[in-house]
Amino acid sequence: MAYNLPEIHQATLPGGMKLLGVEYDRVPWLSLTFMAKRGAETDPLDKPGVADWAAELLTLGSARRTQLQLAEDIESRGAVLNARGGWDATLVNLEGLSEDFSELMATLAEVVQTPGFPEDEFSLLAERRRAELMHQQDDPREMANIRYLRLFFGDSPYGHAVPGDLRSLDNIGVADLQEFYRREFTPATATLIVVGMAAFAQVKEEAGRLWGNWTGGGPASPPYVAAPSRLSAPGIYLLDRPDLTQSEIRVGHLGLPRAHPDYFPLQLVNYILGEGGFSSRLMARIRSDLGFTYGIRSSFSFRRAPGPFIVSTFTPAANTAQVVEEIRTVITEVHQNGVTPQELAEAQSYYVGHFPLGLETSRGIGRQVLSIDLYDLGTDYLTRYCDRIRGVTLKAAAAAAQDHLQPDRLVTLVMGPAAVCAEALQNLGPVKILDEI
Amino acid sequence: MTPSRNFDPAAWQPDIALERFTLANGLTLFVLPDHRLPIVSLQIHYKVGSRHELPGITGISHLFEHLMFRGTETLGPEEFSRILQAKGGEINAFTTKDHTSYFENLPAEHLELGLQLESDRLLNLKLDDDTFQPERQVVISERKLRSVDSPFGLVEEQLFATAYTQHPYGWPVVGWDQDLHRMTLNDCLAYYRSHYHPGKITVVIAGDVEPGRARDLVDQYFGKIPAPVAAPEPKVAEPPQRGERRAILKKVSQVEALFAGFHIVGLDHPDLYPLNLLAVILSGGKASRFHQEFVRVGKAIALDVELAPLPFSAQDPDLLVIAAVAAPGQSLPELEQEIWGALNRLGQDGVTQAELSRAKKLLRSQAVRSLAHNFFRGLLVGIFHLKTGDAQLANQILSSLEAVTADDIVRVARTYLREDNRTVVVLKPVTPEESQALGPLQ
Repeated sequence: MAYNLPEIHQATLPGGMKLLGVEYDRVPWLSLTFMAKRGAETDPLDKPGVADWAAELLTLGSARRTQLQLAEDIESRGAVLNARGGWDATLVNLEGLSEDFSELMATLAEVVQTPGFPEDEFSLLAERRRAELMHQQDDPREMANIRYLRLFFGDSPYGHAVPGDLRSLDNIGVADLQEFYRREFTPATATLIVVGMAAFAQVKEEAGRLWGNWTGGGPASPPYVAAPSRLSAPGIYLLDRPDLTQSEIRVGHLGLPRAHPDYFPLQLVNYILGEGGFSSRLMARIRSDLGFTYGIRSSFSFRRAPGPFIVSTFTPAANTAQVVEEIRTVITEVHQNGVTPQELAEAQSYYVGHFPLGLETSRGIGRQVLSIDLYDLGTDYLTRYCDRIRGVTLKAAAAAAQDHLQPDRLVTLVMGPAAVCAEALQNLGPVKILDEI
Repeated sequence: MTPSRNFDPAAWQPDIALERFTLANGLTLFVLPDHRLPIVSLQIHYKVGSRHELPGITGISHLFEHLMFRGTETLGPEEFSRILQAKGGEINAFTTKDHTSYFENLPAEHLELGLQLESDRLLNLKLDDDTFQPERQVVISERKLRSVDSPFGLVEEQLFATAYTQHPYGWPVVGWDQDLHRMTLNDCLAYYRSHYHPGKITVVIAGDVEPGRARDLVDQYFGKIPAPVAAPEPKVAEPPQRGERRAILKKVSQVEALFAGFHIVGLDHPDLYPLNLLAVILSGGKASRFHQEFVRVGKAIALDVELAPLPFSAQDPDLLVIAAVAAPGQSLPELEQEIWGALNRLGQDGVTQAELSRAKKLLRSQAVRSLAHNFFRGLLVGIFHLKTGDAQLANQILSSLEAVTADDIVRVARTYLREDNRTVVVLKPVTPEESQALGPLQ
């Protein structure tokens, strides 16, 4: 399989900001991303959501244009502006047709460099967030995800929902968003990523002109890299939702940071455990053999600091305890016995064979470049990627499973009708009843 | 600085090059060669969806899609997926009102393997109680996920069930809960024999392949499979709606909401293009009317015009749905009246040129972006062919949208967004106790 990998061009702009570019000529599309390399992990404890709210407010008016003018000008070019907080980074993304290269480049620079922070838009934003938070309670999957993180991480930086929660509504003011922006939006810890139908020489010249004089704020918060000092005690936690017909189940423990040397073996092990769809053991056991769920997957969130490892699924409530037990059994098997040579070979050939599918679109390429930069993976990462996957031995995979899967440390959250599932869960061990969403 | 020749957007050509072949047994093949990356999207579209079902076995098309992964005479359950995934493939399937589509996006060198396995499960599917029973349970869980426990799933089901009195679009693709429990293995076997044969198949191969080789491979694996005389396609027309219909659904919910459906046109009708633009003018993007008038200012949490993008709207006349979620403290009846007022205003005063050109460019840019995907290019061609008989419509989307005038927008708004053509389902929140008193959710 011979094909050309996209070349990642790199430059440092006069103001000190990093520029990464990939020339892409499949369709006349441009994906522009400004990345400030600090995100929701910097949110103050009593003000969750600051990074995400600040990102949205950037899109609601610049010093020169109102929200309506911005929306009309951007959308009249068929472009889409999105900004959001995330773990480890805050992203402002503008995508559109490459025939509008100059306008798109200039608009992104304007939105990031000269925000208006309009008070009236902030009030409306807060009201919308209030309504969205209320509405979110109708989505069992989303609520289980949020509640699990709060249960597991408590007050540590990864413990809240990125968009915030009810505390945000009373505690966040526009000054908090300005302060986040002033601190974290600075050339020293930011990157501009341009993927699309534009020559890099042109991108560099335009970016230099638009960003060369931007000094931004800073100094940025120190990067959050430590493991949290306190985590929830292992065990089963039950949140009663009598109105649900299925239980939402989350089972997990602390994972690893992205920089950990076991990243590749653990990715392969996790594919076999629960990430690999019908090739995974969890899906084979709980969906294919037992018919207990439509979907189940496990994932490690590799971040700057150790993120969570979580198995997520749902099942008609009467099956809840059996599914929780099966998950524990499958994790224990992989932890103790590792994976088979055939499983490892198939996981490796999946990642290697699938690799070019991720290079089809500018968005797919942009996503890879962003991660390469955020986690310092090196601009030759794509070149080395397949060899790193192929290089994982059965022994390394077994060691990763042994070291990093912790069946005796599992924190399990069940959100479902207690009247149907509590008794059977108690047979598995003590169940702590949680009484609030 | 002038862009170099390779990066000149004006030189880009949006047309999808395609070659069509028809095998003697009736199977249609489209090949869309593109050699940029060593990958292909292999798609097998069966012309069978929920429209082909009957009351009592609703959901069988979708359940059958699941059974197609449960093994053959020589392969175990889910081995189909495992083998192709181990080659790097993305394997999945989806069922709609009109068709069931299976796809494998995979390295081009494994195209033959994909065809071989697709042919195997068409010919040698293993259907017995050991595979049928657990898979039925999986689908029951899927229905609970998508319909029963999701915020608006049951509201949407109620909307279609109320708006369609005679057409099979009235029941959900996933099927009614009781039918899923009642269905038998024999029902599935009968369905398999009637609908899974080459006369009902459109194969699409998009990506790094030569058309002649693609044709030879498809012929090798599918050419010898006989096709029975296909039963004529059911032709059912929903009678014109003669007056507004309303329903209420009570459910535990934090919000009040309404879903309003208007009967529109099928995929082969030219009015679909102005309707798509109308949907964007109303709710596409932050500059749209609904966002500015309702969402931004906190009257509605969400207010969307839902019309599946081309070519995904249904073969027969579909519903254009307006989904409104009231913000806390806002009166839903008042919100509803304001929405009808906004539609009437559009019908009377029309749209501005700026609105129309913005909507056109938004749809054009979305189409251009999607054309980067072999998978999407294949879907465009395959689904247009399957639903309208004209694959070339895939290459006319941009010009058809461009030709729409402001008068066309007003005309379709007046024609379709009428009170007499409207069905409204209101979601009324109740407490868990009240909900339980109303009986089990299904």
